[in-house]
Amino acid sequence: MSFAERMLKIDRRIIFLIIGLCTLLPLLYPVGLPIKISQEVRSVYDYIESLPEESVFLLSLDFDPASKPELHPQAIALLRHAFRKNLRVIVMTLWVSGTGMADQVVSQVAHEMGKASGEGYVFLGWSPGAGSVIINMGQDLYTTFPTDYYGKPTKNLAVLKGVQNLRDVNYAVSLAAGNPGVEAWYLYGKDKYKFELGGGCTGVIAPGLYPLLRSGQINGLIGGLRGAAEYESLINQKGRAIAGMDAQSVTHVAIIVLVMMCNVFYLSMRKASQQQGQARL
Amino acid sequence: MIFLRRQMPLLITLVTGLIFAAQYYVPHPASEQLLTSVTKWLQIIGGFALVLGVSSLFHVHAVKIRRKEAGWGYSVVLYVGMFITIVAGLGYSFNLGQWVSGKEQINGAMTTFGWIYSYMMVPLQGTMFAILAFFIASAAYRSFRARSREAAVLLVAAVIVMMGRVPLGEYVLPLSGDVSQWILNVLNASVRRAILIGVSLGVVALSFKIIFGLERSYLGGGKE
Amino acid sequence: MSLPLETILGGWVATGLTLFILSFLYRDNPLFKVAEHLYVGVSVGYTIVKTFDTVIIRLIYEPMVKQGDWLLLIPVTIGMLMLTRYVSKAAWLSRYAFAFIVGVGSGLAIPRVISSYILKQIEDTVRPLMMLVPGEGLSFTWNLLNPASSVNTIIILLGVSSVLFYFFFSVEHTGPGKAVARMGILFLMISFGAAFGYTVMARMSLLIGRLTDLIEFSDPSYGRPTIWLLLLTIGTMIFLSRRTHGEPPDER
Repeated sequence: MSFAERMLKIDRRIIFLIIGLCTLLPLLYPVGLPIKISQEVRSVYDYIESLPEESVFLLSLDFDPASKPELHPQAIALLRHAFRKNLRVIVMTLWVSGTGMADQVVSQVAHEMGKASGEGYVFLGWSPGAGSVIINMGQDLYTTFPTDYYGKPTKNLAVLKGVQNLRDVNYAVSLAAGNPGVEAWYLYGKDKYKFELGGGCTGVIAPGLYPLLRSGQINGLIGGLRGAAEYESLINQKGRAIAGMDAQSVTHVAIIVLVMMCNVFYLSMRKASQQQGQARL
Repeated sequence: MIFLRRQMPLLITLVTGLIFAAQYYVPHPASEQLLTSVTKWLQIIGGFALVLGVSSLFHVHAVKIRRKEAGWGYSVVLYVGMFITIVAGLGYSFNLGQWVSGKEQINGAMTTFGWIYSYMMVPLQGTMFAILAFFIASAAYRSFRARSREAAVLLVAAVIVMMGRVPLGEYVLPLSGDVSQWILNVLNASVRRAILIGVSLGVVALSFKIIFGLERSYLGGGKE
Repeated sequence: MSLPLETILGGWVATGLTLFILSFLYRDNPLFKVAEHLYVGVSVGYTIVKTFDTVIIRLIYEPMVKQGDWLLLIPVTIGMLMLTRYVSKAAWLSRYAFAFIVGVGSGLAIPRVISSYILKQIEDTVRPLMMLVPGEGLSFTWNLLNPASSVNTIIILLGVSSVLFYFFFSVEHTGPGKAVARMGILFLMISFGAAFGYTVMARMSLLIGRLTDLIEFSDPSYGRPTIWLLLLTIGTMIFLSRRTHGEPPDER
């Protein structure tokens, strides 16, 4: 076996070790390179900045623990921003296994920003049905969620004063890891009930949401951990996303180097076999 | 009887499908009330559907334990984990003096159910998906070869986007950030738009076929 | 300030389970299998608890019994019909439930999908072209970095039409059609490349998140579970590999 062939057949655990080190070392010894802000993320930030106090902001945390590293920092950054702007925040989720995380994140940030449940924010919890939940909320919020997550009736909550359904929401953002997510919120929500909609998502589904972004169906898109880091920069509060950017940089470079090496070995193997073929002729 | 088994369900699909397709265009309060009620019902039915999804899992592992097939001990671990979670979630908390009712925290204090969620479910699910990072690197190294012109284009686009989406890439090669933004917002957006339009046309066509009874595979269950 | 016992215990359990799953990277082993089955068990248990509490108690029992909304018997009946799928003699009854769900779902989806994903998307591809038509005077913007510029509008139109044409297999891709299809393939490859780049970014982020937690749990306030459990996991793996007399690992 030639050197190139041996290198291509290398034990994959060596690659695992390389990736593990490339992730671990920058986390232990961060550098902190500057992060450029993209227009997609800035649009979400600017819209929330432009909302007057007491506007209604709906945040749907449509993800499960598998996507926590990417979307949890986005949730924290958005909630901090919304609470800082004294918006009336409604939090909910369409994913059953994300309910505990959603409860934890909203309680944590609300406690940090001094907001009380029922007055500054309400956590509605989860309801099955995805699209039907959104349509039902668009018709009548109190039919979908007669009580909040803790059992308090939603009808008389101060934070929901004047809110009958989704038409009364000033801005909704869905942080999505798949379906149901941003597309479902547009399809069953904004299409008929005409509230402004923004999106946050994992890196896997981000490219698929660009048609909606370009057509203005969503006004902004926070993509993956990088998007969360950009948002943290905008609100000037460093969190896990910015802390993870160095590791992200190094791992990307590692993958690029690995792919380049793979192609160099492959091309040299191809050249060698072509030369062998010609020598035989 | 054949009518009840075969024709009637198709009739229900036809009637409900047409009513709700038309409902979108009818703003009358009665139509809106119908939408509100039925979407409420769908939430309840959705809950029953979850039960359906979960019960097949029970069956597979119960059979494994009963027949003492290889690895049946792990199926016991599965059942024990599930049972403890259910008891913690629906049982009574002596610490807090009330029924847990599926809450992860009560008045700021974490319940056992919340503990299981935060310290078992979240790390387990998180790590199961995190190890994919290693596999994507290994797969990229083994298989991401520029065998043809098209593959080379894919490779170059991937490298530009990977460079452009990290601070180090933008720092070393500022152009990569701008080019990757252009690729995403223009080239990628156009392709995804075409795919979205195409898939949506397919979905609409399939929905019409289902409503008019040309597509019956969703019925399942029972003979005929 | 020392952490409460439940948090320290939680740190140890979370770290242990994380390391058990990461041990799969070396080879498949009983530690991983235990963690994997525990994951499925706990997830299913969680879903059952949440579904019971939300659906049975909050959506059915409380509105029906406490507020007298007996009309909810209809969806409950439909839900029960769905469960007859498991009784072979009565399984045909489940067809009614599925017919209702699928009928309503299709009916709700059709107008919304047409409006949101077909008409709106086509509108946004074509509308910017109207700006290129001379009104007050022809202006053509060349700024590649602005997605709304004229040159990008043309590129988007070319991309959308060539990709749609590529997937239209009812017409043979010969002659000028071949050139359009080739252009479609080019656009597709670039898009897939971008998708790959983003997928790599996403997967790496997930790993970064888990390792951040492991680093957090290596803190002395938790009793350094990361270090001790790492040693325990490695020790167990060595013991297990000695027992199976060093079988060759997977070379995939």
